[in-house]
Amino acid sequence: MIDTPMMRVLGRFLDVNSFRHTLIVSNMANIDTPGYRTRDVNFAAELRRVTGVAEYAAFTPSSVQVQGLLERPDRNNVSLEREGLLLAETQLRYRIGIELLRSEFRKLSVAINEGK
Amino acid sequence: MNLFGVLEVSASAMIAERSRAEVVTSNMANLETTRTASGGPYQRQLVVFRSYRMPQFPLMLAGLRSNSAQSVRVDQVMADRTPPVRRYEPGHPDADREGYVSYPAINPVEEMTDLLGAVRAYELNASAVQASKNMIQQAIEILR
Repeated sequence: MIDTPMMRVLGRFLDVNSFRHTLIVSNMANIDTPGYRTRDVNFAAELRRVTGVAEYAAFTPSSVQVQGLLERPDRNNVSLEREGLLLAETQLRYRIGIELLRSEFRKLSVAINEGK
Repeated sequence: MNLFGVLEVSASAMIAERSRAEVVTSNMANLETTRTASGGPYQRQLVVFRSYRMPQFPLMLAGLRSNSAQSVRVDQVMADRTPPVRRYEPGHPDADREGYVSYPAINPVEEMTDLLGAVRAYELNASAVQASKNMIQQAIEILR
């Protein structure tokens, strides 16, 4: 298979980001659900774990409840500002991952074409 | 991870918020209704949401069991048990023997804020759909 270690790392980086996106969207969907607790992925730790392993290790998603958020009387603690900000941030991170991955593929293609 | 499943989560929230808006609108419309099919004045309806885990077909195919994405649905529409408001209107055809008419206990301001909340939550989820669509689009760009 033609891939570089960089591609593998980027793939996992995208995995973590899209998983986080799933959680953010799920939080947003449940903004009016009584008793719902905000969930998130421990981003820094997850990224460190996932990019640290050299071999093909699949990303196993795990989410945690976010602590220290303001709770409403119906025990729901989804913060619109937090989720909105994270949504934008995650999108940008995802974009970075995609662009880097594309540049990796471009490099490969240059290597192939220059060899002709 | 599946980005298409995320769209379903947002869609479920949009459906739930819309039914909430519908119920609130019907409360506002029946502010002065004194006759209903079950007899007596109209009763204010309340929507209760519940989160649930949607079984996602693509995830099952891939052998992944993602238990993190939580969709939302309308769990029940229940009647507000506040007793009706009695107003003295002896000329009204629905007045009781003492001349009082029972009107539904609905506060228009409360309903209006509830409606605004539903609309804003709907918009929020619509923008989440937009964000998910962008990410899918970008993933497709790798192929170009």
